Amino acid sequence: MRRSRNESPAWDAKAAAHLLSRAEFGPTPETVARLASMSMEKAVDTLLDEAAEAEPPERPDWVKDVWVNTERRYADTTREAAAESHRTTRRRYAAEMNQLRSWWLGQMIAARRPLRELMTLFWHGHFATATGKVNISQAIYAQNATLRRLALGNFRALLRDVTLDPAMLMYLDLEDSDRAKPNENYARELYELFTLGIGHYTEADIKETARALTGWTLDGPKGASKGRPTAPDTPRDFARDGLIATFVPARHDDGPKTILGEKGRFELDDVIAIVSRQKATGQFLAAKLIDFFGAADPRGELRGRTAAAFEESRGEIREMLRVVFTSPEFYSEASRGSQIKSPVRLLVGACRQLKLDVTATPSLAQLTAAMGQELFNPPNVKGWPGGKAWVGAGTLAVRYHLPDALLDGKVPAGMEPLGSNRFLAVSRDAEQGRAMMDRIEGAMAERRAERMKGGLKCRFRAEALFPQGAPQDPAALVDDLLGRLVVTAVRPSTRATLIAACAGAQPDDRPAAVARLILASPEYQMA
Amino acid sequence: MIIRTGRRQFLRQAAGLTALTATVPGFLNKTASAFGKAAPIPGLNDDRVLVVVQLAGGNDGLNTLVPHGDDAYYKARPKLGVGAKKVLKVDEYLGFHPELVELKGLLDAGDLAVVQNVGYPNPDRSHFRSSEIWETASPADKAWTTGWVGRYFDSECAQVQSPVLGLQLGERPAQTFAGPRPRAVTLANPAILDWPADGPLAAGLEKINRVEPTGIDALDYVQRAANDTLALSKRLKEAMRDAKSPVNYAPFEFSQSLKLVARMIAAEVPTRVYYVSLTGFDTHAAQANRHAALLQELSQGLSAFHRDLKARGLLDRTLVMTFSEFGRRVAENKSAGTDHGTANVMFLTGGGIAPGLHGERPDLKAIDESGDLVYKTDFRSVYAAVLGGWFGADPGRILEGRFEPAPVLKAVKPTA
Repeated sequence: MRRSRNESPAWDAKAAAHLLSRAEFGPTPETVARLASMSMEKAVDTLLDEAAEAEPPERPDWVKDVWVNTERRYADTTREAAAESHRTTRRRYAAEMNQLRSWWLGQMIAARRPLRELMTLFWHGHFATATGKVNISQAIYAQNATLRRLALGNFRALLRDVTLDPAMLMYLDLEDSDRAKPNENYARELYELFTLGIGHYTEADIKETARALTGWTLDGPKGASKGRPTAPDTPRDFARDGLIATFVPARHDDGPKTILGEKGRFELDDVIAIVSRQKATGQFLAAKLIDFFGAADPRGELRGRTAAAFEESRGEIREMLRVVFTSPEFYSEASRGSQIKSPVRLLVGACRQLKLDVTATPSLAQLTAAMGQELFNPPNVKGWPGGKAWVGAGTLAVRYHLPDALLDGKVPAGMEPLGSNRFLAVSRDAEQGRAMMDRIEGAMAERRAERMKGGLKCRFRAEALFPQGAPQDPAALVDDLLGRLVVTAVRPSTRATLIAACAGAQPDDRPAAVARLILASPEYQMA
Repeated sequence: MIIRTGRRQFLRQAAGLTALTATVPGFLNKTASAFGKAAPIPGLNDDRVLVVVQLAGGNDGLNTLVPHGDDAYYKARPKLGVGAKKVLKVDEYLGFHPELVELKGLLDAGDLAVVQNVGYPNPDRSHFRSSEIWETASPADKAWTTGWVGRYFDSECAQVQSPVLGLQLGERPAQTFAGPRPRAVTLANPAILDWPADGPLAAGLEKINRVEPTGIDALDYVQRAANDTLALSKRLKEAMRDAKSPVNYAPFEFSQSLKLVARMIAAEVPTRVYYVSLTGFDTHAAQANRHAALLQELSQGLSAFHRDLKARGLLDRTLVMTFSEFGRRVAENKSAGTDHGTANVMFLTGGGIAPGLHGERPDLKAIDESGDLVYKTDFRSVYAAVLGGWFGADPGRILEGRFEPAPVLKAVKPTA
């Protein structure tokens, strides 16, 4: 039965499960029961309040209070010393990034208030910054902490902090932009991807904004001695003294500018204020949030109301979410069970919904990467395209390995690339060449072992899911698990297949057998 | 030959039948395996294959095909210039980088075509943007979203039944294959498609993924993709059962990718275009050693592939084409590296190529205001040659413009 758009949606367990499938990493019987016992408004308020109040997680132990550049070069650094410090630093960064990926997945799996983590993930895709270009692990951690801190806060504050975020300053080149040669990279993405969207600014606005944003760069802590000088023309990575955003007046262009129709001697805070006032910014963010949380909005009315909430609240992200999560559009038939889960939602959701024993290891993060969503490494500044792009033969194949990976901790074959790069030209002298190849192959094996260190530490225990014992009757067990795990329409053939598989399994294995097949079903790919 | 034609004819009819009867077109796995051996691609007139090789990051064309007879080259590159004595001389003016020993061998044997100074008007020096331009074949001032091969699949292969008309070995889907309908698959490692074929879970997996339309668009999309994935898994496993290769490849990713492609072509995986990448060409600093390693991998990988195809009797129906999003600036920078530039070289090998050097060599005295080469051959004229001469397609329609095909292929007419 189709409700009209203006009718307020019926609030029941199904609606609560739908909300939890989008605003958290999937419903559980406990969370559904809790929200269904409240009114919709109260349920949404509760989710938002709790997300806003969530305590930040403890940081990984390698994060320092003050970052030190261990590959810093000086005028008198020898070639050998420079090469050595570069190599060891990059190796450490790579290891720390492996840890950081699994650390974040671990937070999402364990989070008591998952909406905060989910919104952090949303902003990570919005303000995409990739380790392909920024490989300093601490900078990536710091950005993640900033996104989490302001995930449900005020957009204007978030935008300012992201603009001056060290990883962003590096990723979109603002750290090297000065009055002599303003770099337009950040200014362009600021308007195209972060706030206004294409069509709401001109090339002249970009040029003028780039001028206004000059002067900011990265430096060491105030007052710290500068130490020995760098050789001239040293690349930025080897000359950087710190990760602290610092304004250097001499680098700033303080002349008059015209930006989006306003005139003045603008600088960073003016740009943030001007762009936050634009109607297009509210509209753009509203559309992205509606898309991320998957509300069907064919007439754009929800978008209009969400943008209005942005305007009225002067950029409060929470108020926008409230409009989305209480809207008839969000609960309409067209919105339900119609969104393809991102790899992170899928994996984290499975761990939470099946109450798996999980320790997040690098291999666990490798799984989301193989499914097309490597944390901290979105494909480009536009973030992950999402939707149908999540599903191709290659990525779906990894999804089919999830039952083995998550229920039994088995690392699927084919997670590793076919080989590594040739970093050195191999000597063409037969004997020397052979000796070199032996060394290279040894090093390749070592790196492979490092990536797979710890393997997968996940286990399914039926008792965790059914402390009182699982239903004996196959149909009852299947319906119980489908009710827990699937929010979209279950095809009759799916249920029949599950019941047959269940009946064919040993009684002790039945919950696992059914859970496996559900994980590999088309229905479970949907939120 | 008659049997072969007959079999294809049969498959074409079967394909039509399936398309008519199935609600959602499936994959012809069962029909194909009824013959015991994998079938060529039903719906195509010939069994030709294209292998696109991406040199990602912007390959330094001037240190690949070295103008050793030009003083301006050595003046611009006091540190990085490849000495005239080391160069593998092609003629008085040009020579290959010393690590391209095997490619030089191919050139001498009449098995390699080299297109010099390839680029496009108003060059963009951003990796993203210039890759996009090469992959979509769009003019520099337009942002097309579909790839040039994706458009070929869409306009010329609409009736072809294959879940894997394009196959990329890599992690991120190449825009070259992007099209209105997905026809290509990207795999970092095809071993991921291997799961137990028998047992209750395998049977359940197949049953639970049988297509049953629900009216929920995304869910139906997932079902179709699932069906294709299962069929592909079966097909690849069947095809790859014989894992032997007649030649040895180096254990590196690029070489191993080509080794796999040769096996898949031999196994008649229904793929028209393969796509592999060699990454790391963005040599802004300390370029010499890094670039030498990359060229060695390119040279040894391509030549092993060439020998492999020849030994298997597949060379005549396989064309290999390399590209890179841009070349590097003529003058070296202060870090003994080179910055993003413009025009570049392309290599072609395999069936039907017209061997030797093509195009006009770059003029180092007529560089643009950024200090970059001015292209002479538009890359879209190379694409036009491949689309028209190799696939018998209409290049004007796919490239949305007329580009005189570069003479990189012998005048071969695709078999009707």
